[in-house]
Amino acid sequence: MIGEFLVEMRNISKSFFGIKVNNKINFTLRKGEIQALLGENGAGKTTLMNMLTGVYFPDEGDTFFKGKKMVLNFPGDALSMGIGMVHQRFSLVGNLTVFENLILGHPKNKFIINVAVEKILIQKYMKQFDFHINLDAIVDELPIGIRQKVEILKMLVREVDVLIVDEPTTVLTKQEADNLMQILRNIANSGKGIIFITHKMSEVFQVANSITVLRKGEKIATVNKEETTPNELARMMVGKEHNTTFNLPKTKKIPEILKIENLFVNSNNGVLAVKNLSFNVAGGEILSIAGVTGNGQIELADALTGNRKVGSGNIKFKNRDITQHSPKKRIDEGISYIPGDRINVGVAGNRSVWENLIMKVYRLPKFKKGLLLNNVKLKKYAEKIIQKYDIMMPGINLPALLLSGGNLQKLIIGREIERDCDLYICVYPTRGLDVGATEFVRNSILNLRNKGKAIILISGDFDEIFGLSDRIAVMCEGKFTGLFNNGDYSLEQIGLMMSGQEIENLEN
Amino acid sequence: MFRIKLEQKERVSKQQELIINLYAIAFALILSGIFIALNGANPFVAFWKILTSVFGSRYGFSETLVKSIPLIFTGLSVAIALNSKIWNIGAEGQLFFGAIFATAFVIYGPVLPRPLMLTIMVLLGMIGGAVWAAIPALLKIKFKMNEVISTLLLNYVAINIADYFLFGAWKGKDNFPYTPEFPLEAKFPRLNFGRVHFGFIIAILLVILLYIIIYHTRMGYKLRLTGSSLKAAKYAGIEIKKMMFLVFLISGALAGLAGVGQICGIEYKLHQHISNGYGYTGIIVAWLARSNPFVIVFFAFFLSILLKGVDSLQIVMHLPAAVGVIIQSLILFAILGGELFKNYNVQILRRK
Ligand SMILES: Nc1ncnc2c1ncn2[C@@H]1O[C@H](COP(=O)(O)OP(=O)(O)OP(=O)(O)O)[C@@H](O)[C@H]1O
Ligand SMILES: [Mg+2]
Repeated sequence: MIGEFLVEMRNISKSFFGIKVNNKINFTLRKGEIQALLGENGAGKTTLMNMLTGVYFPDEGDTFFKGKKMVLNFPGDALSMGIGMVHQRFSLVGNLTVFENLILGHPKNKFIINVAVEKILIQKYMKQFDFHINLDAIVDELPIGIRQKVEILKMLVREVDVLIVDEPTTVLTKQEADNLMQILRNIANSGKGIIFITHKMSEVFQVANSITVLRKGEKIATVNKEETTPNELARMMVGKEHNTTFNLPKTKKIPEILKIENLFVNSNNGVLAVKNLSFNVAGGEILSIAGVTGNGQIELADALTGNRKVGSGNIKFKNRDITQHSPKKRIDEGISYIPGDRINVGVAGNRSVWENLIMKVYRLPKFKKGLLLNNVKLKKYAEKIIQKYDIMMPGINLPALLLSGGNLQKLIIGREIERDCDLYICVYPTRGLDVGATEFVRNSILNLRNKGKAIILISGDFDEIFGLSDRIAVMCEGKFTGLFNNGDYSLEQIGLMMSGQEIENLEN
Repeated sequence: MFRIKLEQKERVSKQQELIINLYAIAFALILSGIFIALNGANPFVAFWKILTSVFGSRYGFSETLVKSIPLIFTGLSVAIALNSKIWNIGAEGQLFFGAIFATAFVIYGPVLPRPLMLTIMVLLGMIGGAVWAAIPALLKIKFKMNEVISTLLLNYVAINIADYFLFGAWKGKDNFPYTPEFPLEAKFPRLNFGRVHFGFIIAILLVILLYIIIYHTRMGYKLRLTGSSLKAAKYAGIEIKKMMFLVFLISGALAGLAGVGQICGIEYKLHQHISNGYGYTGIIVAWLARSNPFVIVFFAFFLSILLKGVDSLQIVMHLPAAVGVIIQSLILFAILGGELFKNYNVQILRRK
């Protein structure tokens, strides 16, 4: 099934600010092949792919596409030649429909667009690769899982031969991810080549044919799936093995830090996203909220932190009603928030790394110097977090958007966890983190719990949910279909709850 | 023969940005030279005349400084808004409104001791500008109305309001549309250098003050975050609507100061031509200097060289007054074109 070479990158090197991010990398991809690209955060995966798609030019080395040397001049060139990439940060236009996004920028749609014909064509692709998307939906209103698929569909409509997907499954639940990987398989089987960047070993073994490992800008090896093991790959990536087991020591529960009563919250388009939720979280407890993306988890988190208006109902925090409090007030009262949208919400991308690290603390009296801010002290504070959380970055004064996806996530985590709060709301906290960083973050969250903090963990990753939670809530269409102690229900049963079955109706 | 390569750049340093702008100016000046040549004049002589008219005499230099005072104010006004991604095209109108407020005090208020009188006029001018900027601010915050359009249109309204007073209640004794000359108490002292007046000192102090505010205070940090990303700022606990409103007010107040400077420092009365388009030229100044208040002083001076120089071209070389406007527009276009170089590494290669 695997055919001739599609892509050959030879001796590719790239430096930023004098730091070699890619060093003499050789990389090949064949027809019908899914190749996983593996490596720690900041290893240079995205950068390498950015050179394949002409976003950056290599300092040295050549790239061959279908046997011919590739000459890329303008940012859109690679796409029109047949190499498309779905980025870590999405590039869809939020307030347009799916259909409009799909035809936007397609070179054949210069002046006149025959909507009916185009739609039929797109339907054909959807059928061929097993997509189910409403073409007339507004992109902003779609859950991330679907948006991800729209991005991929967009590439297929452009008839790419090589599809690069950069960490597409980070916020997806197992089912969503499985579905996505099935689609990737279908696409590869149709004779295209796929490069799949991920940090999840299980996905690598589920779908990839071969695996290339990068470490600190160097290529370590390319191996066939059959000839390797997860442990071997992990060793190649970091030079040592990880074992990730957690134990939850008994904590003495501090009664109710957070109490939610009959909460209703609207989504952006005015539809009810959270429907009549009531629950509470105690100190020293991790409550996980599991669910398919787009079932109201984000709206709930936004409402708890004041970033979204509450329709009706009450939020009580440390026995005080904070339903109407501003985000600022809630920050001061001791609510920490790792948001789901790290690029647009979690950081101000073109401000510097240090300015982003002090977002939640700059108002503290200890950082004041008379009427002024003590920038020196603030920078020191930022540096401390950078060291502690091992954030790789080209410079503390450079804009945050230059950080690799995982390092950006570390920045946010460090900022939010370092601050002493009573309630931590963590949305997909380990998304895009490599194995080592994931372990570190999960341990940090556990530490908070053991210190008596209340934690709400919104996640799609069941290793994380089973490993960390005291209690698990399953959210579907704005409601909890189940809320139970960790261990009371099996993965299968949780899957049923995620698809809408109430816990009472499960046969035990 | 040749091909052009574009590589995305995620970041340009402030210095690079400045250098690109200087190139853009050079490019615009070359084009202007061609234009001058087409008008039958020698461009080298013309540029030389511009330079000598500014640097050749104490008078020329002081007059150039005089023109740069309102440009510093309007430049700061537009820049501080731009820093928060707000386009204030309305500095011209806010300048007039500041002038109207300050003039009203001269006409209706008592004559007070000079320092007190001037302080009140300065404050009123700032309030006037801020009031005029508050309208587009509210329209934007309450009704999401695009401020480019509202601020621009309000310029015409402000100028017409000035006319309303100038042709009506404030008309001078000789029936021309200007107010009577202000009393001495309402005139800025001069700095012993031509017509350069106290407004220059206010401008320089403001530049320093704004620099400190933007980079060394909580308020400035909030401004920086808001300017970078509204969503992130909101998430960080910043009340972004309040912040935007405040930015509009500050921006308007700065433009209002330009108006006060003109009537108290130069004209000593309110009339229709106190501005000379300073509100619009301020946009170019702000765009050239981007966020750095100190660089604004430099570019304000640069553009006043053009303004002053072109005045004398008209007289000495009989070139049309429009030359000045054309040079300014070419500069603006060149800078906007230069954006490409800020976002991409452009390489020109010989085809193999
Ligand atoms: N435009 C840029 N300017 C400066 N440094 C950059 C730029 N782009 C990437 N880098 C740096 O290059 C390194 C590699 O980044 P890259 O995004 O390729 O990592 P990655 O392997 O994709 O990591 P992750 O798994 O975290 O996404 C990082 O240290 C990053 O900060
Ligand atoms: Mg990456």
